[in-house]
Amino acid sequence: MEALREGRPVALFPYGDRVLLWVEHPGGQKGALGLTEAFLLGERRRFPSLAAEFPALDWFERALWERGFEPVGHPGLKPLRRHDLPYTFREFPLLHEVPVGPVHAGIIEPGHFRFSVLGERIVNLEIRLGYQHRGLLSLMPGKGAEAALLLVERAGSEPVAHAMAFAEAWERALGWEAPSRAQYLRRAALELERAFGHLGHLAGLFTDIGYAYGATQVGRIRALLQGELDRLTGHRYGRNFLRVGGVWREGQPDLEAIAAYREELARLLPRLLKNPQVLDRMRYVGEVRRAKALALGFVGPTARASGVGRDLRQDDPLYPDFTPVVRQGGDVLSRAQVYAEESLKALDYVLFFLRHLPAGPLALDPPLGEGEALARVEAGRGEVVWFVRVEAGRVVMAEGVDPSFKNWRALELAVRGEGLPDFPLCNKSFDLSYAGSDL
Amino acid sequence: MSLMHTLKVGRLARKLEEILKVPQHAFGYPLLKPAGLTPRVREGLIHLCPSGAFAEVEGIFSLDLARCVGCGRCALAYPEAVGEMRSLEVAVTRKEDLVQRVDLERGGFLDPGPPPSPRTELRLPILAFREVSAGDTGLADSEIALLGNPFNDMGRFGFQVVASPRHADALLVTGPVSRNMAEALRRTYEAMPEPKGVVAVGNEAISGGVFAGSPQVMAGVDRVVPVDVYVPGDPPRPGAILHGLMLLVGRMTQRLVGGVLR
Repeated sequence: MEALREGRPVALFPYGDRVLLWVEHPGGQKGALGLTEAFLLGERRRFPSLAAEFPALDWFERALWERGFEPVGHPGLKPLRRHDLPYTFREFPLLHEVPVGPVHAGIIEPGHFRFSVLGERIVNLEIRLGYQHRGLLSLMPGKGAEAALLLVERAGSEPVAHAMAFAEAWERALGWEAPSRAQYLRRAALELERAFGHLGHLAGLFTDIGYAYGATQVGRIRALLQGELDRLTGHRYGRNFLRVGGVWREGQPDLEAIAAYREELARLLPRLLKNPQVLDRMRYVGEVRRAKALALGFVGPTARASGVGRDLRQDDPLYPDFTPVVRQGGDVLSRAQVYAEESLKALDYVLFFLRHLPAGPLALDPPLGEGEALARVEAGRGEVVWFVRVEAGRVVMAEGVDPSFKNWRALELAVRGEGLPDFPLCNKSFDLSYAGSDL
Repeated sequence: MSLMHTLKVGRLARKLEEILKVPQHAFGYPLLKPAGLTPRVREGLIHLCPSGAFAEVEGIFSLDLARCVGCGRCALAYPEAVGEMRSLEVAVTRKEDLVQRVDLERGGFLDPGPPPSPRTELRLPILAFREVSAGDTGLADSEIALLGNPFNDMGRFGFQVVASPRHADALLVTGPVSRNMAEALRRTYEAMPEPKGVVAVGNEAISGGVFAGSPQVMAGVDRVVPVDVYVPGDPPRPGAILHGLMLLVGRMTQRLVGGVLR
């Protein structure tokens, strides 16, 4: 409880009939911002709910409830991913209701948004997901490393980060580490994935405010960077690249070209973000305050744009002098600024890792054996978590958390009091993964 | 300044032939070489493939392109038995054209016969389509969206995205169709005016892909709505999706017959 007050929950998942909670807090076991794990009190699938005091646990407990656990004293249980259970939206008797989705107007994933509006002002937004639920976690037990990675790479829309967290958890479970050349290549792919994703968020934001020049130019460089990710990993999104024990291949991206794209972006992005049209539409819109970001346990750029300076890469010794990009505004513009600055830094790291590749093998076969471990990776959208228990080269149990799962409620907060037409802009400023949340 | 920059960047649109080719550095679609399929190799291939694309049943060795994740490990390990197809013209109108079947006794590919002639009522100069993501990870969706970028610029070929199914001639569907999306997909399809076509984009949309065994998915778009064109890939590159659209409107022909380019 003390740990939760000072820190933030990382994951909460079933472990047999018990419930295992992971908390990141200043007094944690490992380093200044370590993790502590603890079983919640209770027996036979019943445990005392903490969601009323720690709203960051709300969705975690609802997900557990759907899986047959009982959070005793939860303030308002509703299904999250299961659509066979009854669901009721919160009612606002005198307000007009605007239902949107699951099928949206653009080319995006499905989800349902229920707006309660007074005129054009949004008084409340309730997000209902689960449309993308594919039962991914239930397919994991019994899988070997390769088959498990196929699923993990399809958990959310950031395959490299998911695969990296899963592979590290597996390797850590066996008390083993991948060779250092693979470590560098994994991080190069991760940073390229981050730059590609962030530029996608920016291009989308410019599209949503009708700034065609910005959208086209950022989209152009993004497409070129995707080509480099393709060259490095052999896949346009970086799938089939990581393996437990290292990486499968080492492609030849054009480092000169990446450096040139970075220089062009460094000139272009600050100019685009100072455009009066951009400032007018993005500043002071969709604000998420720091206190709420902390209380609800938001992660990644969403948290950092609201003044929470946490980035898992701080703890990674392979990153030379890493400092997180932080903005205080909490609005759409702050998030855009974080994306812009982080994408430039990400490309710097791509070049750093690929120019300093240590000699050695791309992969080694980890020993067979048994063990369990949790690993986290800072993906473009925030921390990806995988916990795995392995025995004799097979998954016994695995649990994953996509950063979007922790961040969806930031969108509910951001649009409160905003005009309905600003919703797409606010939504794009988080650009969360539906599939990652629904698993 | 913006104008100068735009002029300097210049024209980006790539030629159609270029879009329809697998780029040099990437692995294309696998192609069996019947002569190299010794018993040892066949066993190795079945064991090696992480997604189970190879199978052997009653003297027929098969490779299902809709189960291939494109990692290319088969071609690396057994170059004598697996080659590569470097065209993205892989869209088909019937599912069996995505499976290569080798008769091990006679040593050649089985030919399922000419594909059925495509529907003619969708031969439109301009095709408006709507997209529904039904359990997709977001990557096949992303590839469809990228068809509109300045490099591919699908608008010049007469394809455009519309916001409502009521304005759409065609429906592009991605993902294995999660149970929770089946009803929404059916209703989207029903909302479209006739004539209407459906394109299943990506392996998951064709047969469920790696989610095929999950009770939470329907494992294929054609279990919910009728499908006209299947585009294999994981996810398919924009060029392959463009070929699917071209095939739907009858401006290009099906080249993959029995899993082999003809």
